[in-house]
Amino acid sequence: MRAHKRRKPIHAALVTIALVAWSIFALAPLVWIFMMSLKLPRDIISYPPSFIFSPTVDNYITVFSDARFLQPFINSIIVTLGSLVLTLIIGLPTAYALARFRFKGRESIGFGILSLRFAPELLIILPLFLMYQGIGLVDSYVGLVLAYQIVTLPMLVWMLRSFIEDLPQELEEAVAIDGGTRWTAFRHVLFRLMVPGLSASLMLSFVWAWNNYVLPLVLGGRNTSVVTTGIQSYMSHQSIEWGPMAAATMISIIPGVLFAIFALRWIVGGLTAGTVKG
Amino acid sequence: MKHKPALPYLLVLPGIAVLVAILYPFFTGAYWSFTSYRLNRGDPDLNWGRNYWSLFTTGDGLNAISVTLTYVVAVVIIELVLGVGLALLLNSNRYGNYFRLIIVLPLLLPPVIAALMWNVMLTQNGVVNYLLDSAGLPTLLWLNSPQTALMSVILIDVWIFTPFVVLLAQAGLRSVPKELAEASAVDGAGPVKHFFSITLPMMFPILIVIITFRGIDSLKMFDIIYTTTAGGPVGSTTNLHVMAYLEGIRNLNFGMAMTALIVLWALCYASAYVLLRFRRQEAMS
Repeated sequence: MRAHKRRKPIHAALVTIALVAWSIFALAPLVWIFMMSLKLPRDIISYPPSFIFSPTVDNYITVFSDARFLQPFINSIIVTLGSLVLTLIIGLPTAYALARFRFKGRESIGFGILSLRFAPELLIILPLFLMYQGIGLVDSYVGLVLAYQIVTLPMLVWMLRSFIEDLPQELEEAVAIDGGTRWTAFRHVLFRLMVPGLSASLMLSFVWAWNNYVLPLVLGGRNTSVVTTGIQSYMSHQSIEWGPMAAATMISIIPGVLFAIFALRWIVGGLTAGTVKG
Repeated sequence: MKHKPALPYLLVLPGIAVLVAILYPFFTGAYWSFTSYRLNRGDPDLNWGRNYWSLFTTGDGLNAISVTLTYVVAVVIIELVLGVGLALLLNSNRYGNYFRLIIVLPLLLPPVIAALMWNVMLTQNGVVNYLLDSAGLPTLLWLNSPQTALMSVILIDVWIFTPFVVLLAQAGLRSVPKELAEASAVDGAGPVKHFFSITLPMMFPILIVIITFRGIDSLKMFDIIYTTTAGGPVGSTTNLHVMAYLEGIRNLNFGMAMTALIVLWALCYASAYVLLRFRRQEAMS
């Protein structure tokens, strides 16, 4: 902090100006689409583009009253929550074992799961698509939830593993000395300490699953189109419905924005699948 | 704590089950890459390495490889410079935490949606061209011209993923001891010299992580490109991942699609290998 005081005020002002400039660049598309979502059709297609207009909430009403727009949101919530539940069931014991036991094959299993993060999605999804066609899982919630494990499992397992490794083992050992089992130690001690890390991992996994595009594009269909594939489909209609599309866009970014506000400090561990601590 | 030797294996069993379940489509796909498998023409028949040969010798294949590599190199260099720069600015600004919240937002949106926003803004009569025109600058066709399409998707990638570099670079900067900054200031080193002789070398481990993660994710970039240009115009933005989708889902040529994917996978894994090896070295030293 002492270094700051030596700096000239001009220097500090330039830094602020540069940061403001990038912030404008980062926010401009969001602001523009938000404005679009409040416009009437004639304001949307006008050229020069209108910066001042009388706002309307019609587009949001359309999105929430038309099944064509609403269904993808419902599907997204079903598929994302379903994937998270399954990931938690598979991933929590795995993460715990990887963090707390030394056993043969531990690192191989860990890297096997992490390697899903590094593979091009279609490598698995294209053959899976044909397998799904054979057993009737294309365009079904179950099929999507199973496939989403490719995205959510490596994230959750590696984030949780590094959280658990950071927690002191002594407390659990104390429970064991007092006659408790490993299970009581887990329930009463570790699980409570883990809650912040666990909720951050779940939130980020939620955002990542929600944001995914390739999986539902290939394995989904008319009945299971999610937010990311649904918004695409508004564009293929005879006329592009810009207003509702913009409104749907604003709603679809809610999970990411909420994460930014409430759990940003956990993000570095999540972005690097636990290979870097934030 | 004592435990039965089988306990850890019991706990990781579901995880192993997922891995095994994924190996099946993986090996099936790898096999297809050596066949001329087309969905509408019966069973796969082996043609050995002919798909690979054609990927590395025909115009389409070489174009996809060149687009893939151009994209990776451009994206990694631009985002690394901008991201580390922004991280330094954030750390030296009193309101850094507030700026950080704004700067990070694009990273948390669905990339498809972000690409769609830019698609709307970059149309011929869109707001970007309007602003350029008002400023007296020439307008561009952006995503609609083979000359500028790749540049435009790179711009969108930079908008979305520069925050990734910012966040990791900030984490790396935290590991640079403050005393070193003061010591080098006492020695009369300017901020530029200080950055290149102290900060940058200290950040080396995190830079490796940034480069490999951004490298791998841009190698397999699909969302931005497919949403905005679907690989066009005239293949100017068709990288290996998009090519695999077009070959597989549009042309039903699963043999060729899997070939492109296996090559892409090899590139991604070579990069991941560098990262993991490096981390193991770090852990040991």
